[in-house]
Amino acid sequence: MKLDKAVKIVVKGRVQGVGFRPFVFSIAKKYSIKGTVQNNMDGVNIVAEGTAANLHSFIEQLQNNQPRLARIDHVQVEATAMFENYQTFTIIESDRKGKSSLVIPVDASVCPACIAEMTDESDFRYNYPFINCTECGPRYTIIKALPYDRPFTTMEKFKMCPDCKEEYEDPLDRRHHAQPIACPSCGPKLSLLSMEGTVVTTGESALEQCKCLLAKGAIVAIKGIGGFHLACDATNETAVRELRNRKKRPKRPLAVMANERNTIEEITNLSEAEKHLLDSPESPIVVVKKNNHQLIPECVAPGMKTIGVMLPYTPLHKLLFMKADYEVLIMTSANPSGLPMLYQDNEIFSYLRGIADFILTSDREIEHPLDDSVVQIVNNELQFFRRARGYVPDPFFIDTNINGIVALGPQQKNTFAIGRGEQIFIGPHIGDMGSVEVTDHFLHELKHLMKWVGIKHEVIAVDKHPNYETTSLASEMECNRIIKVQHHHAHHVSCMVDNQIKEACFGIILDGTGYGDDGNIWGFELLYGDALSYERLGHMSYYPLPGGEKAVKEPWRNAISLVLSHCEGGLCHLQKLFPYKKSEIETIQRMLKQNLNSPLAGTCGRLFDAVSALLKICDISTHDGEAAIRLSELTDETEWVNDYYQFSVIENGGLLEISLKEMVVELLEDIQKRTEQKRIVQKFHRTIVEMCLGLLMKAFEQRPYLNKQVVLSGGSFHNRFLFYHLVRLLKENGFEVFTHKKVPCNDGGVSLGQLVIASAQTTNKKGE
Amino acid sequence: MVEKISLAHGDGGELAHQLIQNVFITTFGHHDQAKLDAAILHIPQEKLTISTDSFVIKPTFFRGGNIGKLAICGTVNDLAVSGATPLYITVAFIIEEGFSIPQLQKIVSSMAEEAKKANVRIVSGDTKVVERGSVDGIFINTTGIGVINTEEMLPKTIDKQDVIIISGTIGDHGISILSARGELGLVTELNSDCASLNDLTSEVLNVSSRVKMMRDPTRGGVATTLVEICEDFNVTIEINEDALPVKEEVEGACDILGFDPLYLANEGKLLLIVAKEDEEKVLAVLKKFDIGREATTIGRVSEVETNGRLFLKMLLGSRRRLNRLAGMQLPRIC
Ligand SMILES: [Fe+3]
Ligand SMILES: [Mg+2]
Ligand SMILES: [Zn+2]
Ligand SMILES: [Zn+2]
Repeated sequence: MKLDKAVKIVVKGRVQGVGFRPFVFSIAKKYSIKGTVQNNMDGVNIVAEGTAANLHSFIEQLQNNQPRLARIDHVQVEATAMFENYQTFTIIESDRKGKSSLVIPVDASVCPACIAEMTDESDFRYNYPFINCTECGPRYTIIKALPYDRPFTTMEKFKMCPDCKEEYEDPLDRRHHAQPIACPSCGPKLSLLSMEGTVVTTGESALEQCKCLLAKGAIVAIKGIGGFHLACDATNETAVRELRNRKKRPKRPLAVMANERNTIEEITNLSEAEKHLLDSPESPIVVVKKNNHQLIPECVAPGMKTIGVMLPYTPLHKLLFMKADYEVLIMTSANPSGLPMLYQDNEIFSYLRGIADFILTSDREIEHPLDDSVVQIVNNELQFFRRARGYVPDPFFIDTNINGIVALGPQQKNTFAIGRGEQIFIGPHIGDMGSVEVTDHFLHELKHLMKWVGIKHEVIAVDKHPNYETTSLASEMECNRIIKVQHHHAHHVSCMVDNQIKEACFGIILDGTGYGDDGNIWGFELLYGDALSYERLGHMSYYPLPGGEKAVKEPWRNAISLVLSHCEGGLCHLQKLFPYKKSEIETIQRMLKQNLNSPLAGTCGRLFDAVSALLKICDISTHDGEAAIRLSELTDETEWVNDYYQFSVIENGGLLEISLKEMVVELLEDIQKRTEQKRIVQKFHRTIVEMCLGLLMKAFEQRPYLNKQVVLSGGSFHNRFLFYHLVRLLKENGFEVFTHKKVPCNDGGVSLGQLVIASAQTTNKKGE
Repeated sequence: MVEKISLAHGDGGELAHQLIQNVFITTFGHHDQAKLDAAILHIPQEKLTISTDSFVIKPTFFRGGNIGKLAICGTVNDLAVSGATPLYITVAFIIEEGFSIPQLQKIVSSMAEEAKKANVRIVSGDTKVVERGSVDGIFINTTGIGVINTEEMLPKTIDKQDVIIISGTIGDHGISILSARGELGLVTELNSDCASLNDLTSEVLNVSSRVKMMRDPTRGGVATTLVEICEDFNVTIEINEDALPVKEEVEGACDILGFDPLYLANEGKLLLIVAKEDEEKVLAVLKKFDIGREATTIGRVSEVETNGRLFLKMLLGSRRRLNRLAGMQLPRIC
């Protein structure tokens, strides 16, 4: 066979430490490809020589048939004139030096081969809840130090038995160098503990007793990969209500784990993409639409059209469902209000006293707690609510050097980001930075990841908000420079990086609350710019939020301000709408008049809150975003209403402003006319879409020479209706639209934007 | 017709003389001293403390006091918490043209009354009248002199497990001022806590030699005062959400306005850091006084370390870091 062509292939993504080179080797052999494969700093380099047809097949296999844990972000194929006439295909040594090149593997759900062994009575790991192999099991969560090697993991204390050792050392075994390898005789064991800390029972009997307890309606704290869950039978309404009472979580939707996909398909309508995600090694919680099936009581996700579902992702979870008297379990992370996820046995007794009845734990310790990832599919695209287990700490690749820049992220849904070379490592979901326990956890994880990545922070990026915890944390860290980044600029750039856009473009940012350059609260923004600078072209007009943070927690205050600020006869409407709040309305009216503790805000999230309260859907949020979320749950993105509320886009000092006056008046009329609630909600949603479009069109009219690319970011884009229809309308109007794919559109993605902005600003300063 | 202050009341002429004679001297006493340019004082000790403060408050009159009473209490308290016995006070008025003389008389009377209660003598004074609009009604400056006759408190000896005590409910003054403005429609019976604390402080120092520090948490409230202590003396303090004494009315007002009582001003509250072994003793002394009846322990020193911080231990178990009062409490919730 004549080898007539040579190509160079660069593969980026999660392609190291996942058996990628042996895989390349095997397909090279299959298609008679000669050449080399080598790991380097940012991926895998392949030189391949072969016939055109074989090379074509080789590349196709490379992209579509990878090992279970590999994830290709980018393949670059380049023909090369250098024809070396290789005689063989070889794996050559890594081209990388120092510890900064070490790969940090991610945790993966139990693989089919391990499940097969675990359910095979003749296998020595029959029913063993800690079975794993090179393609599955814990990774990031058990690592104490790099390189990833057993002595540097929490498995270090377990001495491998001869059987395990043989597999571990055999290059042809599927457990060759599987660091957490274990079996019943040498590995971790289960124990069932009482809340007093006494051991009730261990091993298989712990599992059996736990199943009995769950079947009877008990609440058990169960140690998983990244921390403890609180579990109870999701079909047992009494148990679910009890869990809510004990955890003081009256309404927040609870995630469920089902025994198998068929069960999920009974209670929801799954798309192919959703099925694929549920079965993936990342095994996230997927937020999907419920159907009318009655298996799951309403109290699991009250008022929601959707439910967060997942499949058993550890062998222990699998076993918990085997021959059990329940099919679906509530699996909510065991973190008491304001605290990070619990992951250590010693802390669980004090924090979960009065919440859990029993604890199912093991002696395999968790080194780095990690929440479940939460995603949804909208318009056939993956959207992250929370990027954690299965995805963290996979790096992102960009083509500028961002070495030594660390972004501390925002206040809520916090993540941090670390730059090394041309890689960005986004840390695990940290959550609400409101407590010291969480900021300590943040610092601990940040320090670890920086050490692993081999980076010292030279430049720190933080949000501009003067009262974010990250602002004071940054001032206590030693560094060359602190760069303050406007919140929505960070959202904008985050989405640009997510889509590899470099040229300045439009950004529509629909968000909750962010600190604006003018000291007011922003969150409905039309921006134009890139990482270096941006211009605010337009926004929603401001109105005061009486009581500040209180108005966020209690949307009825916000509703009162919305009405009083936009509608002259508003007071009598309000008194009818909230007859039980007569004196409060008066006080709030005076607060507005006196400008007392009433910061100005123009945000999409807060407008949703206000409308939610006006429609009596939710007047006090018991968890973040509740009012807005419950309002959005009443829409249907498959329907498009034929009318919407009027609004105007006015010019105010060179800045476009959406005036809400007409909308508020018409909305109140609709409420008074007792227009069907769903119709009002649909009209309101369409209004927001039209506002964004109107704002953008007007800005573009004024400056038709601007780039017609638009990025969409901000937490409000989790709203399926807004997302679907705004993307559609923008495209219909000739814009090229980009949305988030790899990081959340919510504040979980802010650190990525902060980092790239800080980088642009430092390099620019140096260049001057 | 109500008599009003005119610019001539401040020009040093006849009207000024009358005002000083009729309003100040008659009320404050000290006929002889008024004839001198400066007061001649007898001071028994070597260790003196001196403190000055200016008082501007809107409204001038409020439930539980007025600007005059506040001007005496404020300076008396500044001396008292430093461990001194206040002896003398000077007062200086800046009055807006058109201010009512009967109201001025009321203010001056309550100053005299409070000075008597606190056992301090008003020994020197000054009055200026300025054009309409130059000040808002009346501003008062007071300067106090006191002597220290007990052992000095040693904030440097603040140690782990020392307790944080407050002499009563917090935020009363802040809310009573807001409601006195009448613009918020808050109907409350709440009085400002405006009071002199020197009896409390001297009694406390009499019974305990393990009081490490005393403060009066005025502007910025208990939280800001404690943050400053944490930073200045390198200690970390933890206070408990469920231990904070807050009047129901204050809580209600805070709830509707979105304020935190920990950041509201107090004008008659004593904050103490005391060694654990004297906790009960000090509490018992405080409770003997009317204004100390609700004294209670609100927290403790949890760590001695540089970069000391203030933590609030929440009911549900987590701890929140508290910073000093920032201009506006901008929402951080996204
Ligand atoms: Fe945001
Ligand atoms: Mg002072
Ligand atoms: Zn496996
Ligand atoms: Zn073994």
